[in-house]
Amino acid sequence: MTASQEDATTSTAIRGAALGALGWLRWTWRQLTSMRTALILLFLLALASVPGSMLPQEGIDPAAVTQYYQSHPALAPILNRLSLFNVFAAPWFAAIYILLFASLAGCVLPRTVRLVGSARQRPPRAPSNLARLPSSASYTTELTPASAIESAAALLRRRRFRLHTGDGWVSAEKGYLRELGNLLFHIALLVLLFSVGLGGVFGYKANRLLIVGQGFANTPTALDVFRPGRLVGPGNLQPFSINLQNFHAQYVTSGPELDQPLSYNAGLSYQTQPGAPVRHYALRVNHPLVVDGVSVYLIGHGYAPVVRVTDGTGTVRWDGPVPFIPVDQSTMTSEGVVKVPDARPAQLGFAGVFLPSAVDAAGTLESAFPSALNPRLSLIGFSGNLGMNSGEAQSVYQLDTKGLHQLRMAARPLAAGQSMTLPNGLGTVTYLGYQQWISLAITYDPGQMPALISGFAALAGLILSFLVRRRRVFVRAVPAADGRATVTFGGLARSDAAGGFESEFAELAQLLRAEQAGTSGAAPEALAEPDRDSGEAETAGADVDPHEVALTGPDGE
Amino acid sequence: MSRLPGRFHAALGAAVAVLAGMAAAGCAGGDIGANSPGSSGQSFVSHSYESTFYQVGHRPAVPAVAGSTISGRRLSLASYRGDTIVLNFWGSWCAPCRAEAPALGQLARNMASRGVRFVGIDIRDQPDSAQAFMQTFNVGYPSLNDPGDEIALEFHSTVPPAAIPTTLIIDRSGGIAVRIFGASSFSQLQALISKVIGQRA
Repeated sequence: MTASQEDATTSTAIRGAALGALGWLRWTWRQLTSMRTALILLFLLALASVPGSMLPQEGIDPAAVTQYYQSHPALAPILNRLSLFNVFAAPWFAAIYILLFASLAGCVLPRTVRLVGSARQRPPRAPSNLARLPSSASYTTELTPASAIESAAALLRRRRFRLHTGDGWVSAEKGYLRELGNLLFHIALLVLLFSVGLGGVFGYKANRLLIVGQGFANTPTALDVFRPGRLVGPGNLQPFSINLQNFHAQYVTSGPELDQPLSYNAGLSYQTQPGAPVRHYALRVNHPLVVDGVSVYLIGHGYAPVVRVTDGTGTVRWDGPVPFIPVDQSTMTSEGVVKVPDARPAQLGFAGVFLPSAVDAAGTLESAFPSALNPRLSLIGFSGNLGMNSGEAQSVYQLDTKGLHQLRMAARPLAAGQSMTLPNGLGTVTYLGYQQWISLAITYDPGQMPALISGFAALAGLILSFLVRRRRVFVRAVPAADGRATVTFGGLARSDAAGGFESEFAELAQLLRAEQAGTSGAAPEALAEPDRDSGEAETAGADVDPHEVALTGPDGE
Repeated sequence: MSRLPGRFHAALGAAVAVLAGMAAAGCAGGDIGANSPGSSGQSFVSHSYESTFYQVGHRPAVPAVAGSTISGRRLSLASYRGDTIVLNFWGSWCAPCRAEAPALGQLARNMASRGVRFVGIDIRDQPDSAQAFMQTFNVGYPSLNDPGDEIALEFHSTVPPAAIPTTLIIDRSGGIAVRIFGASSFSQLQALISKVIGQRA
């Protein structure tokens, strides 16, 4: 006895230790998949997206990130190390949503399995004492217990209850649609999770700045920013090409809404693949061009002054539009740089400000309106080493002034066609006019449509599961005196959702009585008494539509 | 048989909303004015050096590339059939391209006698600056102009260039033997070209 007890203790201890490791795992899993954890993760996800909307993001606006670096030289590198300029691709952000996915999937999958079981389940046996149920009624009938149960079952079946019959009882349940709604919600949620993942794996995002008159193809070397999904290679990009034929921006010219944009319209021509017919599309904000399942959105625009730089040898080294970045949306005052790394005798660089509608404001020029009503370009010249030949990649919007010195020259705003001679025989720079550019966001997300559909399906399932309630009714019949049967009828609603079961129960009870006791059932105890004839007559007409009975019931009173 | 508490539904409903939002975030949209534009113009997909060698028998065929060069002449890769071709995607604005340009120019001169032809494909450039580049780095070989990325796109189903610069070495029978992303050094490139020449293709 003692020995075996000891044995038991030891084995329990050992098993306890083994269970400890397993139990620990199980505990972790249970914590992860608990509602509380999911809610905390959801909250964290929302919280983690906040810096994404407060700080400029690489994926959305790389130029703004560059600007941030300039204005916060000490802080920016720290923020960058914390991935705060690319929040949605940050490891800590991924950690949160992967945990959330795991938590939701771990929570939803077992529930789905249980729901399938629950939706297929037969109603349980009728409890022995139906009077204890929240709603109950009883009456006596002329029928034998077996035929009373049979007729009750027939009635309930007509009312589309799911039945389970036994000796002297019938259980019926209705409202499985609730479980179906639940199931739909859970499956849709899983599909939604899967779709979001699908987009992350097979989708991509890209940006491209395009000057009027220029074109590009959807290939990595032609994209400014390219963020492929995990399984997207350069060969997976849909091979379309787009040309920008024209661009028109309209602004409010008077009133309190002055300077506000009215409309943007970019005239595109495109081909779905090389050799395909050329098509046209008027690209507007929120009206993306969809090519081959890829959406191309208009997300920005600006001016590109056309500049010609002739070096000290008299050779033209740059002649073309240079995209400038708007620093003020209401006036479209824009800044940009021109780099001429192959100018001789020295490399040249220019930092410029473009004013689309230049006006004299107390001695300084500034732009008064976003349209190009009076465009001016002012440039500051630099010469020396642009730092490009070392091979270190640099932004095309910034001059690395480390190896450069500023040229002494009067900063005179140039009108179209005007030139500026550089000192020391370094050459001349001419402002020829301007072009406009647009920036495009190219997104391919194969999970977007499934996500949308499953989102709606989840909502529909949720509504269904809220509106439909599951309820059970039970009928038991026991033999009573003089061959009659006592029928007890009980029911309960299985969910705390919206009431209304009492009236349904009352109606069912009335129908049953009416059918089996053979009268309208206004006063069942009294009416159950009378002669057998009427009772038999009712039994004969047992296949009368219950709704009709319900309708005729009150008339009989 | 478990009853699902309403709280659970509410929370999952919120999750659906958030996830649907995340999925829908793919559609940029928004007001163009408020969405400060930018995107980094000709900031390119930068890449550190990475080379891939395709073994004989597993080499994708080079597409029929043809077009007009920076100096305005017609050029077709087919006319180089039988030679080893070094194809370099570059731009005068691209700093890594500028860094590797002297090595490429030197190798083109050194290896011409061994049947190696160099061809450039100038990307997102402008004729004056492209010519200036070639003058600066004494580039003797021709470059095709590819303003609309048509040539780059022709490599779509074979070995698409994914960075600027991208260098491809094409063997004598027109198979792509090497793909290099990023700037290569003189010795790196020379070794790879020699390896391709040394093989029977």
